Amino acid sequence: MSSPARLRIAGGTVYDPTNGVDGVVRDVCIEDGRIVAELPRDAQRLDAGGMVVMPGGVDIHSHIAGPSVNHARRLSPEEHAADAMPAPRLEDATLARSGTGGTVPTTFATGYRYAGLGYTTAMEAAVAPLGARHAHAELDDTPILDAGFFVLLGNDDYLLRQIAAGETARARDYAAWLLGVTRGYAIKIVNPGGVALWKSGGSDGTRNVTGLDDIVGSTSVTPRKILETLGAAANALALPHPVHVHSNNLGQPGNYATTLASMKALGGQRAHFTHLQFHSYGGERGKPWQSAARDVMEYVNAHPETSVDVGQVMFGPATTVTADSPVEHLLATSTGGGRKWVNVDIELESGCGIVPYVYKEKAAVAALQWAVGLELFLLAKDPWRVVLSTDHPNGGTFLSYPELIRLLMDRSYRDERLKAVNQKLLGGSALLDGLSREYTLQEIAIVTRAGPARLLGLTNKGHLGPGADADVTLYTSDADRAKMFATPRYVLKGGTVVVEEGQLRRAPAGQRLSVRPEYDTAVTKDLRRFFEQNATVSFANYGAEAVP
Amino acid sequence: MTERATEHVTCLGCGCACDDIGVVVKHGRITQANNACALGAAWFGDGMVPAEIRVDGQAATLEKAIHKAATLLVRAKRPLVYIAGDVSCEAQREAVAIGDRLHAAVDSLAATAAAAVLAAQRRGRATATLGEIRRQADLVVFWAVDPSERYPRFTARYTGERRASRAVIGVDVGPSRGPRDSDLRVTIAPDDEVDALAIMRAIVAGRDLDAAERFESAVDLARRMMRARYAAIVADGEPSSAAADPDRAEALVALAQALNGPTRCALATLRAGGNRSGADAVLTWQTGFPFAVDFAGGTPAYRPARGARVLLAGGEIDAALVVGSPATLPEDVAEGLGGKSVAVVGPRASAATFGPGVAIDTGVAGIHECGTAFRMDDVPLPLRASLPGPPAALNVVRTIRERLGARTHE
Ligand code: SF4
Ligand SMILES: [Zn+2]
Repeated sequence: MSSPARLRIAGGTVYDPTNGVDGVVRDVCIEDGRIVAELPRDAQRLDAGGMVVMPGGVDIHSHIAGPSVNHARRLSPEEHAADAMPAPRLEDATLARSGTGGTVPTTFATGYRYAGLGYTTAMEAAVAPLGARHAHAELDDTPILDAGFFVLLGNDDYLLRQIAAGETARARDYAAWLLGVTRGYAIKIVNPGGVALWKSGGSDGTRNVTGLDDIVGSTSVTPRKILETLGAAANALALPHPVHVHSNNLGQPGNYATTLASMKALGGQRAHFTHLQFHSYGGERGKPWQSAARDVMEYVNAHPETSVDVGQVMFGPATTVTADSPVEHLLATSTGGGRKWVNVDIELESGCGIVPYVYKEKAAVAALQWAVGLELFLLAKDPWRVVLSTDHPNGGTFLSYPELIRLLMDRSYRDERLKAVNQKLLGGSALLDGLSREYTLQEIAIVTRAGPARLLGLTNKGHLGPGADADVTLYTSDADRAKMFATPRYVLKGGTVVVEEGQLRRAPAGQRLSVRPEYDTAVTKDLRRFFEQNATVSFANYGAEAVP
Repeated sequence: MTERATEHVTCLGCGCACDDIGVVVKHGRITQANNACALGAAWFGDGMVPAEIRVDGQAATLEKAIHKAATLLVRAKRPLVYIAGDVSCEAQREAVAIGDRLHAAVDSLAATAAAAVLAAQRRGRATATLGEIRRQADLVVFWAVDPSERYPRFTARYTGERRASRAVIGVDVGPSRGPRDSDLRVTIAPDDEVDALAIMRAIVAGRDLDAAERFESAVDLARRMMRARYAAIVADGEPSSAAADPDRAEALVALAQALNGPTRCALATLRAGGNRSGADAVLTWQTGFPFAVDFAGGTPAYRPARGARVLLAGGEIDAALVVGSPATLPEDVAEGLGGKSVAVVGPRASAATFGPGVAIDTGVAGIHECGTAFRMDDVPLPLRASLPGPPAALNVVRTIRERLGARTHE
């Protein structure tokens, strides 16, 4: 079929949680790339009888573009060689591109494969401001997806100076300025203060923070202060998405206490805590780890202003890639060494650490991580605030989402898998108590599209009401939910039929999602001076503004 | 208006990509490139470049030249796309797209630093963007390189200030010597270099060993680096008098990584200009591989030992598209292109010495054309146009790509 301006998706079973539609047989009408209430009877029809119809998927946290991702790609040529992707046979005028996959696919492969899963929007979760121009260039080469990125801020030289000087308003103006010049979408905080200490040198014990009240350079700068300053700034600027927080102590036993403290530090205001699974461990260093999913989810359940994504670990190959560079040093050296390891200290803000990694069912810690993620999902009372993610490619790639959906929807399958994993650290896990919950299709629609769209403030995404972007995915219902979600029959992006009978057929360019908040421009005078004294990049060239 | 100044211009004269150049244009010519070093000033020149379009040596219209280039490429049995210097990432992206469309071999100037790239692929990296080295390093070790020759402003911009709080050590390896004004010099015989690096790494890892006396200064250097709060090692990634030794490149990475146990350390690899680092980045994000990519099988394959140089020397290539300035081509690549059916799109294409069938002069990225380029440390920078020039490389390459039409599926 062609991609008509008007299309009636007729007779499908629609799951549109935002509009309270839960498995109702009805038509979805599309005109000029948008959902409309009605169409004339003679409009072209797509017979969706027996199919499940949902909005296009929205990934709230994924690493798909920018300097760190490209370092990760460069690091694993053998993975790419093992997963070569021929160019698809497209029917539109765009040049179909070949590529390579592995855990960190090329840009074209990323766009095609996300669309092939029925995802039409994704947020790159961590871009250092210095690399913003690079991230945009990669997103320009990532077809189909509407995409944006979160700008790293939380270890930034200028920001920390403002906090030290008690200049809260200027810190807020700076954040607003930075979002604008980088064409970013939201503020990302990674291990607040910890990365700054790692970059400032020295030996073990001095080069990371361990809790919210550790001192970062100046005595008036602590992780808590950084969280408070940026959390308040994001809310004062009325950004569509609040601060997106990767807490301190990622991956450490006992870190759930830090996670809860961070949530409480931002209590009463909107904040998003990412890849919560990596932050929900009990126990202590040198002692056995255990799950603390219950404690963490209890807090989340009780606090409607707090949202999270899970960062599920899936067994198989992954690439850990994060701005939390001290953590990657730990991972690279604690596992007997010999692993590939990348560290890049980045000027002004942030770092980059990369270690390729394999999560094995038979490994005690990997099994615990897998279990903790599932517990978080199954203990969540409000799916609108608990988003499905694997922190691609950290916990596994986005291609494992269908398998994850099956684990959530199919208890007998889950229990079977649970028996196969290393049980050593699962003692305190709620999974062993027999969590019987099975996600419904409506709940899957919430955690994979309606919820993340709402949390991102993307009012035209994640639903099928009139005015929404016509991003629609049609699945053939199948008892094997992994199979069902891995192979959508049709995917529409902005009204264009990109997947047809399971085949990628069109690859239009996606839209860029960015914000440009207002701020008091007085900050730029001070910034210009700061750049002249401290930066190797001209003030005018920082960020990603178009150059005449 | 006869005088115009453009500020914050990025120079691609070397990999330093200094972005603080003020370019003054009078009567249509560049009269000043403020802040630029001599190499940079020469790179900007007076901004005058040829604007010729030639087919088989004769002047032709752009339309005819583009048609001829597309025809030559489509007819090729074993085409090569080579990304040379002084084009933007935007043009490089189109060049790789052509390679993909044609099932061609694609290579670039980034291949000159292959030893360092391959070492990083085997082990990873411990590095930093240059600004962070300037900010943090209290010890800088120049390993067998004096940047003042090929990277003139490197020390001034990225390691030079705050001498009081920063020690500079020059390591001399045979004729490859560290900076003349180093606070301390360490001499290592060329044959001992890789062993010396291994011994240093063992010391850093806390292993006891009885090193031969001739390694004493290397052992001392290792201890000194461990005492630093943040040590930087600066090494040259480009070919020099010594052959690029993969073991040496890997030993440097391993030492820098190991130093992050007792202290912090970053290895900075010097790379030449012309936006070759951009070619590395673009190829990596589009294909998964940084250079020497072969689309012959319909998908990108990595052939680091069979790059453009080897394919040309082996007589495998029958036609080529060069995107970029032919003057920047490595000698053996330029030689290998002789006698082949070649189209060149780039600055001073008409001056190519190997007699290309099609030559389309374009502007120079960063002088006549805007866009994006990468510094040697992979930092992206905007390119600014200071004066108008011949057709933009991006537009010409894109038009050729469009002319090739959609992919044919066999
Ligand atoms: S150091 Fe390199 S980039 Fe800087 S002005 Fe000189 S040639 Fe240009
Ligand atoms: Zn992440």
